[in-house]
Amino acid sequence: MARKQLRKALPASWEVDVSFATNGREGLQAIREGRGEVVFLDLTMPEMDGYEVLQKIREEGLKCFVIVISADIQPEAHTRVMKEGAAAFIKKPINGEKLMEVLRGYGLI
Amino acid sequence: MNEPLQLSEDQCDCLQEIVNVAMGQAGDSLARLLGVFVTLSVPKIGILSPADVRRLVGQGCVSATRQAFQDGRGKDGLRGEALIVFGDSSFRELADLLDYDEDMEGAAEHELLLDISNVLNGACLTGIADQLGEELFYSAPSILGEGKRVAATLEQDRLQWERALSVQINYRLENRSFHCDLLLLMPDSAISLLAGKLDQQLEDL
Repeated sequence: MARKQLRKALPASWEVDVSFATNGREGLQAIREGRGEVVFLDLTMPEMDGYEVLQKIREEGLKCFVIVISADIQPEAHTRVMKEGAAAFIKKPINGEKLMEVLRGYGLI
Repeated sequence: MNEPLQLSEDQCDCLQEIVNVAMGQAGDSLARLLGVFVTLSVPKIGILSPADVRRLVGQGCVSATRQAFQDGRGKDGLRGEALIVFGDSSFRELADLLDYDEDMEGAAEHELLLDISNVLNGACLTGIADQLGEELFYSAPSILGEGKRVAATLEQDRLQWERALSVQINYRLENRSFHCDLLLLMPDSAISLLAGKLDQQLEDL
């Protein structure tokens, strides 16, 4: 559901390959395999949560651009992920306009 | 006995994401109320029979609150009762966080349980309703049992429901444990209505 909502919010004209992961561990593996140049990361996930994924990305020096998309709207959650190296934080439910703004702001589209 | 009512995998997934968003809002309210960071986990969704609910609640001493909700369409509408079951140890943790006295008065205990219930039910039910394009009305929460065997109360009490939509929420407060179960007790007609609304959401994707 969350993945389908995100897919729908992404610009149709954006010519990229999209990989989906069902939990943090799978997501991290995809990033290690170079399938995550731009990563849309949830925080609340089974197996490994988003905070752990961010920590691993930093520890392993993985090159990727992380945009956190989460229902966790505590200001502290926002602060923590930015400290952990996320480039942006978008609240769920995803607002397509906001997502486009972030992607444009970083020159990704 | 009626046919077993179940949500499909897609419907569960859809509801889980809707609840996830709603619980994020509730978590933020709880964090503000308690002044701590709340770690959210993925909510578990399921349909329970009254026997399942009694098993879930268990025979231990717990406290619970109830709060009715309805959409104003009468008996065919979206309606039910939200039940929150707290473990007694989590209650003590909450009391500490809010600097309640050790020898807390009964009235203050009630107030704490009702405050937390209002925050959780309000955010969760409103969040679900908003995302489904619905509006819900609530009664004030009341205490179902306090430090009692709620399972017994549930058996005696004439709660008008056939099945419960169970939404298990686990909030971890940093350096402390707090856990509660939120159960939405709904008649079959309301669960079917909800399932239909979830299908609409899925079609729109």
